[in-house]
Amino acid sequence: MTQLNPRAISAGIVLALVGLIILAPLAGLVNLSGLPGYEPGDLRFWHSSYIRRVLSFSLWQALLSTLCSVLPAILVARAFALQVNFPMRGLLLRLFALPLVVPAVVAVLGVVSVYGSGGWIPLGKSLYGLNGILLAHVFFNLPLAVRLLLPQWQSIPEHHWQLGDQLGMSTWQRWRYLEWPALREALPGIMLLVFMLCLTSFAVVLTLGGGPKSTTLEVAIYQSLRFDFNPARAVVLALLQLVICMLVAGVTLKLQRLPEVEITLSSGARPQGRLQKPLDMALILVATIYVGLPLSSMLVDALSGPLLQIISSSYLWQSIAKTLFIGLSAALISVVAGWFLVQYSASLAQAGQVNKARLIDLAGSIVYVMPPLVIGTGMFVLLSSHVDVFNWVYPIVITINALMGLPFVIRCLGPALRQNHARYHHLCQSLDLQGWNRFRYLEWPLLRRPLGLAAALVAALAMGDLGVIALFGTPETATLALVIYQQLGAYLIPHATVTALVLLLLCLVVFWLLERGIGGKFDA
Amino acid sequence: MLEIKQLAFRYAGASAPAMHFDLDVHAGEVVSLIGPSGSGKSTLLSLVSGFLTPDSGEVLLDGVAIEQLAVPSRPVSIVFQQHNLFPHLDLFTNVALGVDPSLRLTRQQASEVTAALERLGLDQLQQRKPGELSGGQRQRVALARALVRKRKILLLDEAFAALGPALREELIGLVKTLVSENKMIALLVSHQPRDALMASARTAFVSEGRVVALEDTVALLEQSQLAEVRNYLGTL
Repeated sequence: MTQLNPRAISAGIVLALVGLIILAPLAGLVNLSGLPGYEPGDLRFWHSSYIRRVLSFSLWQALLSTLCSVLPAILVARAFALQVNFPMRGLLLRLFALPLVVPAVVAVLGVVSVYGSGGWIPLGKSLYGLNGILLAHVFFNLPLAVRLLLPQWQSIPEHHWQLGDQLGMSTWQRWRYLEWPALREALPGIMLLVFMLCLTSFAVVLTLGGGPKSTTLEVAIYQSLRFDFNPARAVVLALLQLVICMLVAGVTLKLQRLPEVEITLSSGARPQGRLQKPLDMALILVATIYVGLPLSSMLVDALSGPLLQIISSSYLWQSIAKTLFIGLSAALISVVAGWFLVQYSASLAQAGQVNKARLIDLAGSIVYVMPPLVIGTGMFVLLSSHVDVFNWVYPIVITINALMGLPFVIRCLGPALRQNHARYHHLCQSLDLQGWNRFRYLEWPLLRRPLGLAAALVAALAMGDLGVIALFGTPETATLALVIYQQLGAYLIPHATVTALVLLLLCLVVFWLLERGIGGKFDA
Repeated sequence: MLEIKQLAFRYAGASAPAMHFDLDVHAGEVVSLIGPSGSGKSTLLSLVSGFLTPDSGEVLLDGVAIEQLAVPSRPVSIVFQQHNLFPHLDLFTNVALGVDPSLRLTRQQASEVTAALERLGLDQLQQRKPGELSGGQRQRVALARALVRKRKILLLDEAFAALGPALREELIGLVKTLVSENKMIALLVSHQPRDALMASARTAFVSEGRVVALEDTVALLEQSQLAEVRNYLGTL
């Protein structure tokens, strides 16, 4: 029985808006011939040695970053999985979640603080370019890969470990028969996810890339629009980026096997040889130092920097206000839109229309294949002939960041809401618990935790964004991330470090407040 | 009296033939539904409660058709095997939701909730959350809610499957008393023939989407010559 219901209508409105925001800029992108700088033959990008170089560097750095992040992550995740009882294990795993909310530009400052000239491990000028990009990408993606890989080990049933032990399996045999089969399922999806993140990474390459030699598609788009004012080339690059992202997303979709629901984790002690524990602990220590060092070093530098001068500047406080405004607005829009989508997809799944439900989730996550800079370029091209785009900074930046947050909201809320529907939908129907009453007595108490997490994640990501704001921002509308970039550009490294610390603290505080404020204390 | 007449249903895309149910249940009676997994017992309950819409046929309560009514408007209360209670709400609130989903209770309604909890032996636990109760106590709360809803039909979908033998016997006895006292009509789905023996004078055997037998429970379980029944009971 198919009938129009309020859930379908609200989800339809959200999807129509998402479609409009994505398709309208795309229309701007394809209207290439009317753009300044257009020359016939621009679409034959392989004739341009510049675009060829940018393309090959983009793919090469993404590939290297993926290998350097995921291969060590396998070892570290395995070490965490085998060593289940050591002090501060939980704290270390929480530290590995930190890069998820650390703005890219803050991490860059941390990397410069450790590896820059005068840093703790100085690499000198060779930091800028591929080396720096790799160091920063590994800082972000190694912990992410560890956290995604760890559940694979934890999903191995306790009985399988016991069986392996009883059969006298060696470490190698356990790896071959127990661990690798569990890992193999998720590995391609995780590698492609990291590849995609590195391919579309903007702030890291913008700040650590060393000029034309180390430029990716995203940065080249930005330079074409803001420095060369060559929208035609920006559009060609954006379309190229879009095609690559769609290809990677298509393959990811085929291969991805990330667990959708919380799995029952086994936590018993694992059988292991005499050297296993010291080896695992050494691996965990090295990884912890790698992740912890940039942030600690940046903290030390910031505290010895011009702290008072920066904090007493009214420009900083104005930037804080703008950053907060963008972050909270994006979170609000994203969570509301995501809520409507997930509600409808959960009710479809409950009615047995699983494929339709999946389609709704996928449509909400369509931005996964549309890097923010591609949407931004499209908007820039579309709007610049009608309005002064720099006067529309806030609506544009908030909209794009809200859109970027939508997949996170769907990911956070989806499983919880589907479980809620599966358990209580019939009971609610039977008790006539609908609308506001259902939200108040059932959905809010049970879903406020994932709701809080989703809002916190989107706000932190939007506050640290240096993609869209770099494209549209001006000194008058600069957020903290853009201020840091401006300070880096003016070689005011100590100032940038202090501002980075302010941004980091702001992100963490907002994250904590939203997660706890909305999420509350769950005592069921 | 509940009359289920030529009630037909087929799951979309299913290869199995359509289900057809015919069944009569009298006021104050508990009829058990037994049969193999996938035979259509729970589907029948979903059709009566309105979670599924029949392709054709009728469900009559005292001669009035109810199969077109929306779920909340049906004279039905249902108790599932699990997830009958909201884990974050206390027992009083869980039961009170059965009276008014907006929880704006009159003094009279509030005292009815308290009385129902007392009737089920839960009056000392009103402020507790479901997580603090045993499985048997949780199902008692669900029955208390069914009681305050004052709906004529009570559907029990494997409601006691997760309980031990002594608790099942106790709760089935309680259901019989409540149904008899309030002149309700109950359908009890169970995998355990013993539950049918305890609960019902008459039992329906459901197989491949049809009620193939509706007769005296003892006769059905001990003397039936039907191959499906004997195969199910392991007496073939």
